Amino acid sequence: MHREPQVETDGWQVDGVTLRSRLLLGSAGYPSPQTLREAIRASDTQVVTVGLKRTLARAGDNGFVAIVRAALAEQGARLLPNTAGCRSAREAVELAMMARELYETTWVKLEVVGDDYTLQPDPIELVEAARVLVREGFVVWPYCTDDLVTCRRLLDVGCALVMPWGAPIGSAQGLANPLALRTLRARLPDAILIVDAGIGAPSHAARVMEMGFDAVLSNSAVALSGDPVKMAHAFRQAVAAGREGWRAGLIPAQDFAVATTPVGGERVLLGPTDQPADR
Amino acid sequence: MDSTIAVALDGRPRQVAAGTTLALLLANLRYEPCAVATAVNGRFVARSLRERFELHDGDSVLLFQPIAGG
Repeated sequence: MHREPQVETDGWQVDGVTLRSRLLLGSAGYPSPQTLREAIRASDTQVVTVGLKRTLARAGDNGFVAIVRAALAEQGARLLPNTAGCRSAREAVELAMMARELYETTWVKLEVVGDDYTLQPDPIELVEAARVLVREGFVVWPYCTDDLVTCRRLLDVGCALVMPWGAPIGSAQGLANPLALRTLRARLPDAILIVDAGIGAPSHAARVMEMGFDAVLSNSAVALSGDPVKMAHAFRQAVAAGREGWRAGLIPAQDFAVATTPVGGERVLLGPTDQPADR
Repeated sequence: MDSTIAVALDGRPRQVAAGTTLALLLANLRYEPCAVATAVNGRFVARSLRERFELHDGDSVLLFQPIAGG
């Protein structure tokens, strides 16, 4: 009997909060605030990332944050402020404290960049910042590489979860190192793992979920697409499908064929020594 | 005694009256207290501390606002 996907009841928890959606959405780069609002709705997300920046020349954000707040209130979702642009633990800690005050949440997506070309997170500064922020009462969501030991250190200092990259931010390459991600899932079976960065297509998100990850964060792939609202919906479906596939249990890949139609090992019409009919 | 001090506001030089607090600076700039977060000399200054946080000559004041982000 066909069973409808049960993703609606397949919740996960962070900081005692039960989340139904496994798609996290970034709010940057949308063509208009209204498009962002519709994309949030179409994605069915319950966590939307936001940022902070210096108020140079009183430049506003053209109403994007107000739209995010309104959309989240509408669908009971939460803000996840980031520390984008920070290059040291000290900077990240200070920015996180400002984010907590401005956004009135203890949740923080911790980012500490270690390389300007790849925007690769700095594992040393990241762990140090996480240690301080956990002590200060933050619920830390660290954006990190797919290095197993770094992820373990982040969990050891009290991070609620880890967010390894699929590929460099905005690269749209998908999963650059599936082996490393599979290793993370296998070695950290009880940790909440969210793939963040590098996701370029709904199929990438589905693959992440099929590997047993707990959620996916996407921004550029949705915001910069030809139709962000439609793409947000596509990601919603891909994440749900991937999750359901993982729950169903994927068959293992192998290097040889296995016949699916049970005709037995004999030739269908010809015996092993018969020659084909000459026609 | 000089009645003004020089501070850097978001990296730009600015003269303010001696004894100006962070809260007064924001009010003079017409910022709602909840609209921005503040840091002085690279350290976060909580909203609740701005009223008694007196600025000094050479202080660097940074203001941060919410933006969209990934």
